Amino acid sequence: MSSIGTGYDLSNAIFSPDGRNFQVEYASKAVENAGTSIGIKCRDGVVLAVEKIQTSKLLVAGRNKRIQSIDRHIGVAYSGIIPDGRHFVNRGRDEAQSFKSLYKDPIKVPNLIDRVGLYVQNYTCANSVRPFGINAIVGGVDDDGAHLYMIEPSGVYWGYCGTAIGKGRQTAKAELEKLDLPNISVKDGVKEAARIIYLAHEDNKDKEFELEISWVSQSETGGRHEFIPQELFDAAVQYAQEEDDDEEEEDEDVEVQ
Amino acid sequence: MAGLSFDNHQRNQFLSAKGFGSPKATSTGTTIVGVKFEGGVVIAADTRATSGPIVADKNCEKLHRLSPTIWCAGAGTAADTEMVTQLIGSNLELHAMSTERKPRVVTALTMLKQHLFKYQGHIGAYLIVGGVDPTGAHLFSIHAHGSTDIGFYQSLGSGSLAAMAVLESNWKEGLTKEEAMKLCTEAIEAGIWNDLGSGSNVDLCVMEVGKDAQLYRNYLKPNVREAKVKSYKFARGTTAVLKESIYNLVDIEETVVPMEVDTEA
Amino acid sequence: MNGINVDINHLKKGEVNLGTSIMAVKFDGGVILGADSRTTTGAYIANRVTDKLTQVHGTVWCCRSGSAADTQAVADIVKYHLELYEAQHGAPPTTKIAASLFQELCYNNKDALTAGIICAGYDDKEKGAIYSIPIGGSIHKQEYAIAGSGSTFIYGYCNKNFKSNMTRDETVEFIKTSLSQAIKWDGSSGGVIRMVVLTASGVERLVFYPEDYVNA
Repeated sequence: MSSIGTGYDLSNAIFSPDGRNFQVEYASKAVENAGTSIGIKCRDGVVLAVEKIQTSKLLVAGRNKRIQSIDRHIGVAYSGIIPDGRHFVNRGRDEAQSFKSLYKDPIKVPNLIDRVGLYVQNYTCANSVRPFGINAIVGGVDDDGAHLYMIEPSGVYWGYCGTAIGKGRQTAKAELEKLDLPNISVKDGVKEAARIIYLAHEDNKDKEFELEISWVSQSETGGRHEFIPQELFDAAVQYAQEEDDDEEEEDEDVEVQ
Repeated sequence: MAGLSFDNHQRNQFLSAKGFGSPKATSTGTTIVGVKFEGGVVIAADTRATSGPIVADKNCEKLHRLSPTIWCAGAGTAADTEMVTQLIGSNLELHAMSTERKPRVVTALTMLKQHLFKYQGHIGAYLIVGGVDPTGAHLFSIHAHGSTDIGFYQSLGSGSLAAMAVLESNWKEGLTKEEAMKLCTEAIEAGIWNDLGSGSNVDLCVMEVGKDAQLYRNYLKPNVREAKVKSYKFARGTTAVLKESIYNLVDIEETVVPMEVDTEA
Repeated sequence: MNGINVDINHLKKGEVNLGTSIMAVKFDGGVILGADSRTTTGAYIANRVTDKLTQVHGTVWCCRSGSAADTQAVADIVKYHLELYEAQHGAPPTTKIAASLFQELCYNNKDALTAGIICAGYDDKEKGAIYSIPIGGSIHKQEYAIAGSGSTFIYGYCNKNFKSNMTRDETVEFIKTSLSQAIKWDGSSGGVIRMVVLTASGVERLVFYPEDYVNA
């Protein structure tokens, strides 16, 4: 880090001479080594998946969820500092509720991301606060179809067909690019999501992890954001492990040659 | 609090029991009108100001300037029409300067109605707003509670019924400037003659598209007071002097000190 | 104070009243709003050619009844919100959203307002839609709605004669006859009958003079 010691990295409120806000860049570092999260935009909905690193054997399996709902039709998966993610989700829920109480209609995904984007950006302006230490993938469906966004600590957000964050993001992105997005079904999306998370975990193999997958789709869940059913989850995991083994075998083949 | 208040009922009963009349609400009388014509708008007003049964001013001004091309006739509480008109006129000028555009009549209308609505009718201003701006000629009326109306002709004030009778029977489409001025004058005259709250003279303001507004102060003076035929002054000495006494309350002393003046310069 | 306070939902003294006959009716191509044109202050007709049909956004309109000042102020606020909504969302607001804003304002300020509003409009999602928001600030989605002092006289007529999915012309006739009866029996209603037709192709305004509707 060439910038260390210049003093321009101590405050949000001061630009470096070359126009950078180092605090925001450091916040991204908090995400880079966190568990992988991915989002896939499909023909009929969105799939979210996270690689939840098990920090302790004592943690209850299936609890401490990392994918949350902002509204009935919007889900979010994040990587980075978990309490920051919780705070982000809370704000998203407030925005969604305030929209609904005024207009009596569910908020549209682009509008929701507009609002939380503004909120996140605010944390990059003041000296008294630090930026969010997360990247968040926000997916949902509304009258205009499926939407997938990824938002960064600077408050910037982009719409994606597929996106990955966290430690295994490079592997995951490479896999996502091979898929025919957004033309696959959510059912296929779920299988691919499981496979990609397993593959991305290769970078972090020494740690145990738990897989979380949720989806939101007009056809499969009636427009609601939910965790996928157990049987579908099991099938996806099985598919992921088989693919994983195949790949290992291929690797071995290569070594043999 | 919502609803009717009977707080003053006991007080009024007490007053009448003691032989005093109960206080009457004061209504302020006026006749104001506005008429549109081809390429402009005319507004007019009478010039009587009353306080209760007394004529407080025989030649007051009820035509107010909001901007050089937007004028406003006011009925209701004189102080309120004056102040609200000055306030909005001032804000309109600031608005025109910051936007670098000529002020519009709808802008004046919106500022007035939002201000009056905020005060829930406690500002007793009933206004006819007329004017020209880059979008053309406009005529509106505003009630004290903040409601507005639009039309080719308008009348307001206690004499509005008399004035409206004239407007309804004589207004036609496509009036000329002169016809509109005549119609306004006749409508105000109807108020002057038939409404107790209105009287004296007719003030008139003509606003034409692309021209400066023209104010005709005392355009018509149908109530010029006749000069008295006889003088009622008492001749000097009419009252007899019975006694005269002068007191010197202060001693006045004058001292003259000569000064040297330089005559060379 | 030891005075007596009677809380009646009454207009303040001298306030301009829209003693009114207003209605909105859904039909196969959208929705039509109708209103008389009389505004009164006490016994005096302050305006005989009032426009009680107010645009709040594109093809979302409202019929106003009650206090002229209150309903104009509320309509102006809703208009502002809807303009902002379109700017923020890049898409026009639906009738439901407009109605929801009216409802929110009318309910939260119920103690200060005398406003009976029918919000009706056409949007791509719901096509024609009508929401009635009477004085307390409740909201009712309806196939057709009538309101104002004159509406009491035509509840029976409308109930008997309204049909779902009428044509445009049938609907115009239905509103014309309904409002002509309301005007006939209600002293606070009168003047011309104004209508606004809201369809996929936009806004169309209609006016009917007494000679056009008195024998309708």
